[in-house]
This record gives sequence, C-alpha cells and structure tokens, in this order.
Amino acid sequence: MNHETDACDCSSLSAPVTRRRFLAENALGIGTVALATLLQQDGALATPPSVPRERPTFNLKPKRPPQEPQATAMISLFQHGGPAHMDLLDPKPELSKYSGTDYPGDITFSFVNRATKQLFGSPWKFAPRGQCGTEVSELLPHVAEIVDDICVVRSMHTGANGHEVSIRYFHGGIPGVLGRPTLGSWLVYGLGTESQDLPAYMVLTDPGGHPVDGANNWSNGFMPPLFHGTVLRPQEPRILNLDAPAHLRGELQRQNLDFLRALNERHLERHPAEADLEARIASYELAANMQEAAREALDISGETKATHTMYGLDHDATREYGTRCLIARRLVERGVRFVQLFLGGQPWDNHSNIRESLPAICRRTDLPSAALVQDLKQRGLLDTTVVHWGGEIGRLPVTENHGDPTKCGRDHNGQGFSMWLAGGGFRGGVTYGETDEFGHRAAVDVVTPNDYQATLMHLFGLDPTQLVYHHNGQAQTLTNGRNARVVREILRQPPADDRPADAQLAG
Amino acid sequence: MNRAIHLSALLLLAASTARGEVPSPGMPTFEHDVRPIFREHCFDCHGASEEKSGGLDLRLARLLLQGGDSGPAIVAGQPAESYLIERVRSHEMPPGEANLTDAQIATLERWVVSGARTARPEPETIGPGIGISPEERAFWSFQPIHRPTVPSYEPDGGVRTAIDAFLWRAMQSHGLTFSTDADRRTLMLRAYFDLVGLPPTDEQAARFFSDDSPDAYENLIDELLESPHYGERWARHWLDIAGYADSEGANNVDAPRGWAWKYRDYVIQSLNDDKPFDQFIVEQLSGDELAGPREGDLTPRQIELLTATGLLRMAADGTGSGGDSPEGRNQVIADTIKIVSTSLLGLSVACAQCHDHRYDPILQTDYYGLRAVFEPALDWQNWKTPAQRLVSLYTDDERTRAAQLEAEAQAVGAEKAEKQAAFITAALEKELEKFDDTLREQLRTAYRTPGDQRTPEQVALLKQYPSVNISPGNLYQYNQAAADELKSYDARMNEIRGKKPLEEFLRVVIEPNDHSPITHLFHRGDHRQPTTPIPPAALTVCCPENSVTRFADDNPDMPSTGRRLAFARWLTSGQHPLVARVIVNRVWQHHFGRGIVDTPADFGRLGGRPTHPELLDWLAADFVAGGWSLKQLHKRIMMSMAYRQSSYRRAEADAIDPDNRFYWRKSVVRLEAEALRDRMLAATGQLDRALFGPPANVAEDDTGQVIVDAGSRRRSLYIRQRRSQPVALLQAFDSPVMTTNCERRTSSTVAPQSLMLMNGSFVLQQAQQLAARTSAALDGESSDSEQWENLQEPPPPGLMQRVSRAWQLAYCREISTEESELAAGFLHDQLATISSGSVALPEGMSPLDQAMTNLCQALLTSNEFLYVD
Repeated sequence: MNHETDACDCSSLSAPVTRRRFLAENALGIGTVALATLLQQDGALATPPSVPRERPTFNLKPKRPPQEPQATAMISLFQHGGPAHMDLLDPKPELSKYSGTDYPGDITFSFVNRATKQLFGSPWKFAPRGQCGTEVSELLPHVAEIVDDICVVRSMHTGANGHEVSIRYFHGGIPGVLGRPTLGSWLVYGLGTESQDLPAYMVLTDPGGHPVDGANNWSNGFMPPLFHGTVLRPQEPRILNLDAPAHLRGELQRQNLDFLRALNERHLERHPAEADLEARIASYELAANMQEAAREALDISGETKATHTMYGLDHDATREYGTRCLIARRLVERGVRFVQLFLGGQPWDNHSNIRESLPAICRRTDLPSAALVQDLKQRGLLDTTVVHWGGEIGRLPVTENHGDPTKCGRDHNGQGFSMWLAGGGFRGGVTYGETDEFGHRAAVDVVTPNDYQATLMHLFGLDPTQLVYHHNGQAQTLTNGRNARVVREILRQPPADDRPADAQLAG
Repeated sequence: MNRAIHLSALLLLAASTARGEVPSPGMPTFEHDVRPIFREHCFDCHGASEEKSGGLDLRLARLLLQGGDSGPAIVAGQPAESYLIERVRSHEMPPGEANLTDAQIATLERWVVSGARTARPEPETIGPGIGISPEERAFWSFQPIHRPTVPSYEPDGGVRTAIDAFLWRAMQSHGLTFSTDADRRTLMLRAYFDLVGLPPTDEQAARFFSDDSPDAYENLIDELLESPHYGERWARHWLDIAGYADSEGANNVDAPRGWAWKYRDYVIQSLNDDKPFDQFIVEQLSGDELAGPREGDLTPRQIELLTATGLLRMAADGTGSGGDSPEGRNQVIADTIKIVSTSLLGLSVACAQCHDHRYDPILQTDYYGLRAVFEPALDWQNWKTPAQRLVSLYTDDERTRAAQLEAEAQAVGAEKAEKQAAFITAALEKELEKFDDTLREQLRTAYRTPGDQRTPEQVALLKQYPSVNISPGNLYQYNQAAADELKSYDARMNEIRGKKPLEEFLRVVIEPNDHSPITHLFHRGDHRQPTTPIPPAALTVCCPENSVTRFADDNPDMPSTGRRLAFARWLTSGQHPLVARVIVNRVWQHHFGRGIVDTPADFGRLGGRPTHPELLDWLAADFVAGGWSLKQLHKRIMMSMAYRQSSYRRAEADAIDPDNRFYWRKSVVRLEAEALRDRMLAATGQLDRALFGPPANVAEDDTGQVIVDAGSRRRSLYIRQRRSQPVALLQAFDSPVMTTNCERRTSSTVAPQSLMLMNGSFVLQQAQQLAARTSAALDGESSDSEQWENLQEPPPPGLMQRVSRAWQLAYCREISTEESELAAGFLHDQLATISSGSVALPEGMSPLDQAMTNLCQALLTSNEFLYVD
C-alpha cells in the first residue's frame, strides 16, 4: 500500500534548505551588503541572541515573489479518475495496429482479477489540429480548436496506479501521504492574494458530490486554516455562513458590525499595536466585504448571451460544468489566486463500458474547458493565468475485459499519461514527452507531479525548494526535497540559467 | 558550579553555531563542520553499514585521505585534486534526489583547503556504525538536568519568585523591566481560563472581589486547582499530544472508536487528583504490567491502570476496517512510537525508522531499540485488531446476573412461543372451516410442511388460498386480542433484559503472557527486509557517554516481559535529560502562549533553542524534586511576576523587544476553540457542567457542516471527535483534526472565523439565549419597564439593567458609562430600523428581543470575549 509515509520519506529531511540556513552556512562567501539585505528581509537582524524563531503571523496580503512572475493566477480543471490518454491526447498507431494481440512487456495492473494483456486500440480517430498540428482525438472537438494555445504533456508519470496515491502526489507533493498542504495552499502562502474581498483559494465542487479523497483535495495540511481551500458549493448556500439570516441582512447587520467594531476599538485602545486584535477587526471587515464580493462574483446574469453560449450554458450536457468554468474566470478576474474545479466521484475511471462512459464525460467537459481558455485569451488574461487540465493517472493500453468485448474498459495507469496546460507562461501549440509505442509507460522526457509543481511555482516567481513552511521545527516544502525539475522546454521564457534545471533547483 | 559554567559554555557554542550567527571559531574541523554534512547525506552508504560503497568510509578524516576503490577521497589543501569534491560538485554524489547545497560544498572545500583538520586525534580503531560524536552529544537538550542557582536580583526589579529572577537577569541586560501588576479582574480571568477554561460565575467573581486579604490571588489559584473542571481543561492539552480521537481513522471508513472516552476520563481524573506526573507516565506506558494478574473481578485500581494504556491505542488504526495488512499494522506501531516520542521525549525519532537520523544523534538501532520496548504488546505478527483489544468491565456477579436475567427472558420467550403456536393453530383451524374436508386436509398438510420441503403443488395451493398463510406477523388480522397478549410477553422480555447491568469496555494494551518476540532492524524501514535483531534499549544519546541502557528482554518476575515498565521507570527516574524539560515546557507554553522552547515536540537540532535555558532546567529540576506535581508547577508559574504582570504594551520596552521574548509583559492570548465555545455556553447559562461519560454526538446540518447534535451543551472536550467529522465551529478556531497527534496548535485569524461568528447558527442561538438570560434576571417575563416605546425619550431603566447584565455575563465586569451610552445608541438605531417596517422578524421575536439579541451577539464575538488579557 502506501509504505512511503512521512516517517519513511526522509528525503524530506535531507534536501530542503531554509534560506536562513543557506545564509548561515554561506555567511563567509556572500557580500556583506547582500547578506544584510537578505537577513533584513528575513527579519533576522532584529533577533536577540538565543531566542526562538518568532511564531510567524500569517496573512493573505499580496506578496512579491523572489523572481518576476509570469503567472499570477491559476485555474485547475482536475479530472479525477484517470482520463484515457490513448483515446484523448496521445495517439498510438502501433497500439491500433496490434490491437487484439498481447502486449509483449510487463504491465502494472490494479485489478489483476480482470486483467488481460490484450492490446486495445483506441476506438476513436485522431487528426492533426490547428496550426501546430497537435493530434487530438475526435472525442475532444473543442479542445482541438485551442491546440495552438495549449501544451500537451504526454509523459506524465506518478509510478503508482492507485487513485489516492497519485491524487495526493499531485496535490501535496508526496505519493499517498495525507496531511500536507495542497498546491493551492502553497501558492497562497507564498503569494497572498490580490483580492482581499474573496477567498484566495477557491474550490468549485460538483453537484454530484465530492471527488475521491473528499476534502483532502483542498486541505491546508499542517498550515494554518488561512490556507485551506474555500469551497464554493454547487448550490445555495454557495459559501458556508456567508449570509446572515434574511431578517438581519442589510441595515441591521451594518449596525451590528458597526457596534461590534466600536466595542473592539475601545478594547484596542487598551492594547495598542496588538497585531492579532487588529487583524481580527480587519477580518470582520473582510467577511462583510466578502458577502458583497462573492455575491457579485457568482452572479453570471450580467454576462453576454455570447458568453453564455460560448461556455455551453444553453445545453443540458455542458451547462453545469460551463457555469463553473465561467465562475472560475470571474473569480480570477477579481484577483483570486487559485481556483480548482472538481468532478464528483471519478467520472474518468472507465474500467468498463468505456465506449459509452468516456464520450459522456468528454461531452460534459470538452466545450467548457476549451471555452475557458478562449475566453481568458480574448480578455487578455491568458498570459498571466495558468489553465491546467488533467487527472491523477491515465489508463492502460490493454483491455479490462468484462467477458463482453462491448463492455470492456481500461485499468489504471500511473506509469504514463497526458495532461494539458495553457497560459501563464506555458508555450502554446506544443507537445512534450512521449509514452512508449503502446502508451503504457512514459518513455521520453518524463514529467512527475513534482516536476509539474516545480514548473508552476517557477512561473509564479517562486522556487519550490526555497518556499519553506516551518512545521514542528522542520522546514517543509511543497516538493519535499524530492527531485523536482522545472520543465523549461515547455515555457515561453525558460529560466536564464544554462545549467540543467534540476541542478539549479536542487542547489 | 564548574560543571554549570562548562554546561552553559557548551550551550552557547551549540546554540550559536547551529543558528549560524557566529562562524565557527578558527579553522573548520572534521568533527564540527564536515561530519554533520556527511551525516545528512553520505553515511548511509559510506559508514553506517558494514558494506561501504566503493570501499569508501567517511567516518574519520584519515579514512577520507586513505580513500576507497577510486583512490583517496581528498587531498589535504587541494580541493581541485580531491575526488570527493569533484563528485559532489557534479551532483553525481550523493546519488538520487538530494544534493549537497552550495553552502555545504563550500564548507567541504574550506575544510580541505585549510588542511583537512580534526578537532582532536582520531581513534586508532572504530567500531561499527556512525556512533555519536562528542559534538553531537554536547547538544543542549541531551545534557543532564542540573538545578541552576537562582540568580541574585535587585530588590526593586519586581522579582517575586525564582522564575522572575531568571527572567529578570536576561531582561535587565537588555534594558527591560517587568510591567506592573495586572488588575484584579484580569488576574481572575487569566486564572480561570488557564486553570479551568471557564469564566467565573457571578458568585465566584463576587467572592474573589470581596476577599481583601493579601492572599486573595493565591487562594484563588488554590481554589481553582481543586476544581473538577481543572482536569477537563488540562486533559484537553494532554489529549492533543496523545492524539485522542473517537474514531479509528487511517482510511475513509473512519470506523467509530467506541470506548476511547474511558481513557479521556482517566486523564481528567488523574489530573484532578494531581497524580504525580511520573506515575501518570508509567501508568500510560505500562499500566497492564503494573496491574498484575486478574483474579476474579478487576479491581478499581486494575481498571484505572488498564484504562491508562489507552495512550498506546490512540494512533489511527485501520486494521479493523479493511486495512489489516502488514503495512497497516506497522504504520500503527510507527504512529504509536511517534506519539510516545513527541509527547515525552520531545524528539521526532521517526526518521530513524529508515536510517540513522540525519540531524539528531539518533541511530537506526536506537529506533528499533525503542520499538523493541513495545513489540511484545504491539506485535505486527501477532496482531490484535481494535475489536480484539476490548476488555469487558463486567464483574463475575454482573455476568452471572446478566446470564440469569437472560435465562429468565428466554423462559418468557418460550412461554410466548408456546402460546403463539396455540393461537396460530386455533386461527388456522377456524380459517380451515371455510373449506371442504378434502381441501381442508390438503391445506393443513401443506401449511404444516416446512417451507423448504413443500411440493410444488403444495406451494401452489398455499398461493391459491392466501388466507391460510397465518404467521406470527399477521396473526393480529385473525385475532387482535391474541396478538396483543403476545406483545405483552415481548414487553416482559424487554423489561427483564433491561435489568441487565450495562456492559462497558476498555480499549487497552495487554501484553500476552510469555510473549517475547525478537525485534529486527528493518532495512530502510521495510518490514519485508528484517536484518539484525535489536534488544530493547534507551536512546543512546540519552545515556551517559560510553554506556547503553538496555532493558531486560524478559523480566522473570512478571508474566509479561516488563519492557515497557522498565522503559517508563527509566524515563521517570529523574535522570532522563528530556522528559522533565519537555513536560514543564508544555505547561509553560499553555500559560504563556509560547514555550521556553517553541517547538514543544522537537528538542533536536531542527527544533527551537530555549530562550531561557537555565529557567527551563530550574523548572524541570524543581518539578522532579517536588514530586512531579503539576499543580505545584502551575502555582509556581502563576505566582510569578512574569505571569501576574499586565499585558499592556509599554512603548520603551516595545521598541526593544516587540515580540516579548523576554517576558516584560504578559502576552494577550486568544481562547482555544473549546474554551471559546465553553465560554459562550457559560455566559448564556446553557453550559452542562457534568463531568465524564460517553461523548456527545455530532451530525451534519442542512449545509453539510458538522455541528453538535441534539443541542448538547456539554463542554467541548466531551464532543465526539470523529476524525472525518470535525465540528465546524471548533475546526475554524484551530482545534486539531487528528491524523496522528497535535504537537502545537496554530492560532489563526481569518475571515471564515468571522463569518462563523457573524452568521453561524450556534452563535446566533447563543446570542438569543444571552438576551433571554438578561431578561430572566428581572424575574422572568420581560416587564413593562424595559419597553422602549418612544424612541425620542431616554431608554427605560429596565432595559438598561438588561444591558448591564449582559455586560456582566459576557465580560464579568460592570458596564462603563460610555459603554452604556454606546449600547443605548445601538438599541435606538436597531429599534428605529425595525419599526420602520422594512424588517420582517421571525415569528415570536419582538423588536426589543431582536435588538437585544444582536447586542448580545456583538458581546459574544468581540475581542474582549475572544481574548484573555
């Protein structure tokens, strides 16, 4: 199972280096002025000897990242279950050619009881699309229209087939390990948010329920709750406790808050400069502002007819997901840092009946996902907004047989799969990496979730090895000291350093 | 005295170099500068094991010069000629994910350039493993605890107790002084919230204020330490680090953990009894070994001792809910060791499960020595699932009595069955009269033939004549009186069974007799790769140099191995460098909001350093010498000037030490989640003050938020702690969701908390309750004297009495004139708005009720309510 737990994964302890420690160890080698500047930023010079690190205070004020960022916001369209890459984004002619024969090599199955080695060529046709000619399946006609703006990564690899193991790897940085902050938490911890009236990290859940692994998908882990994803529920109340009971709204609540503020300010007079007391007063204001801001952000009635149509709000199949994609754009427009959309359960987990179930989930998500990219682009937001589309694993090239060939499906595959990325500094119109000829294993330019995380952090101007959170005296990082390579080949402006990217990061 | 100086010199050295603020004096040495880098990155392959990769051993400088298969690793003075430097620079070494930092490489180079020096001559021979160097051993937290001399101080320095003398000395060298005493009301509230987690009642407050004696404050502390609510308050702190939960966790099932609360109650009772903390530790680690063999009924003492072992059953455990695999079992053992080590040793030993600790001198063999202590009880190859760990609390008498009652009930049941058969026969015969003889006989035979032996014809026949199918379930349709009579038998059986004594259980560790499994070191922590057998032993670094503390494999005087008992006795011998420091630091932290060491579960190299090392040692030594009395420790701390001073900031001190690291004032602290909820319930008069017992249930409301079910008003400590169902209100205010355990809570200030306080249903209810309570103070029904009919006139006195009563209940103080005016203005505006007709109040809510409710909500959610000065 997941033997790799925090107890064992002690690579966690070997690599992360706090800036402070770096400075300490390098103290003789660095220019005095630079050292003083760096220490001042760390607040170290004011520290009397022999005292602990001050317990830091946390807030969501916008923070300037150490490097110039290319991305300032991100929308992740997470596709739980494992989209079948060889049917969607990764054409495999050899697989089609040998379809029906046995796979020659070893296969890592999840469901051994239903396993076969019989290759299963994609029932769907691929064709080159756009200017760039990236091949996309007929199941994704709308994504096919945006291929010039997206980068398809075909060599994703988690090494584990299990859903939870790989989901946690994507969100928290270590396969299978719970209790860690998610990517969104780290971004918000490192960067704060431009909007003080809306939660910095928002999660849009599906009316069909929570995804597999539930609220762990947006957990703050060991960080304070400030960095927890705020759930935007698919029905009212969209944000919990957002609104007062009907009879208190409006003037009465304004009076209530004014009165509370008067009480708190009298109290603060006795405790001048007590930061936490001031922060609490401010947090009531934020909460009150959030009531207005959230209502406004969620109200799509002011969007044009064209926009409604673009996101598929006119059709039953796409209305729900399209609405959430549109809301995601509105949130990012209003300064929200990180938005993630989830699907209920795991609709991409097509173990059986893939011929019906895969087209169904494609119909639901294809048009809205593409519309989001197009819409961001036409509004000039795509340059600074990353859009991510992908699941935690892919699927096997062999058939998972249920006795009846028409009912067959595909088993889990964490060895190789695809995702796409757009905007925020990613190159458009490119593909990156390859799986083997049948699509089982990532074979060329392998990208792990840690590489993906490092690349995103880089685009946000952050260095995943340097963005440190102290937990129980240990310096924690998103990628936890594991190999994490900025995938420079898919960036518009790769890091200037000409050393291999991994060496630079690890140093 | 000499020793003390030596010690503090060492502490200074360790602290300064580890923080890096003072560069290592003189030239870099192997022991001081190089070994920590190798320890972190290289020793696994080049030193720790018998087999050295490439024949290279990095444990001594001369072995580096000597080199391995590829020749010398370094050439002194010549980094460019040194193969080791080349390999780490190119990131070829260490292999895999982690590389040396540039700074570490620079250190290695500096060391080579300066001649590859050692701090002292290296030994001629070297045993197996990487051992512990004198430098590592010299780390502050591994030094024996010596009681330092209390510093002298100036009489006008505000020093009241020994604690203050230590603080004063550190303070005055920075130009700081203590603040003046906090006012009496502040002191009272501090003492109440710190010791019992509840505000004083009116009577309690009045009693304190009327006590004019100079000892009034001390008397208050004594009184509160005797309160049964003291144990509740401090149990919560201990349950955090013990990882208490009412569910098993570990997987999505999160199965309920039925009897964990017995352990919670044990903790409360032990703390209320001021059970010496060493005994408290010994009981939790080895209560079953102390309890002795069971002879007949469990004695109350045996029950207490067995309950104590609940600590070792707190880890998340999915082995009873689909996760009973070798991995699952070993994970439970690892988590249990983490709970024990972080709570008592203040060390995270978990890293040493796979290899020698990278930073602290904890060897992999040490980890398995510790594991061997627990192996006989927590044996993954001889596992007890959660259900198998329950011990019934039935006495023999109770069991006999239960059996008797069961027999009685069954006798009634037999009587009933007989009667029922007769009724059915009678009904059947009556029904059969409707048919002719032949058919009657066929039907009777078909009916009497057992269901699975009927011929197809018989089945068809019975289907054709459904009215013949008389059963106990439909007998009432044929003979209502008979059915009613039969029901009376059921009632009698239930009544008899209801007399059975309630059967309760404990979740315990009980080591099987004569079970002494051998613990093996697991290569890279993998249970599938057991290697060397490891005997039970103490952490090497906690033992005097050149000695090891082993615990007997099997104590011949006991039926169990006695390993845990020996371990617990060693921990509490008073000689252990960590245990007492860790405990007093935790207590200090809960009084001041920050520990003397700010990483209460990590006293290792990556943890914080003590701000006041001598004070920490004095407290630890005093604690041990005073018989490990927690209550005495509280009193020591609370009688100090440091604790009694005002929390107000003074500009001149603030300029020097804005973070109050020198304790020149008392810090303002926010109430924890549980204390906040409890305070609200106390203020509104709703609090159920009953102690002990099964947890209050939780449920999800319409929006999916987890709330306390069925309006239970018990203290928050007693709310069911299901790992997958944290109560929204508590979680928002940082109460931990247990994955393993909580070493220190965060204290956050975020908008969702404000939304919860503004709009959450619990807070709205409590505001209404408080408003109602202010009215009840005026003898029940709201009287005419509080109606504010004409808003042009001043508020009626009855109303203002209610307002001042609200102040008293929420803040435990009188309202000021300005506040009174503020409140009156608020009520005026509210009533004016409501009467303007734009607001539709809920049914039964008068405008005045609503306005008072809103006023009360403001009080309950204000900073004065949420924080303790």
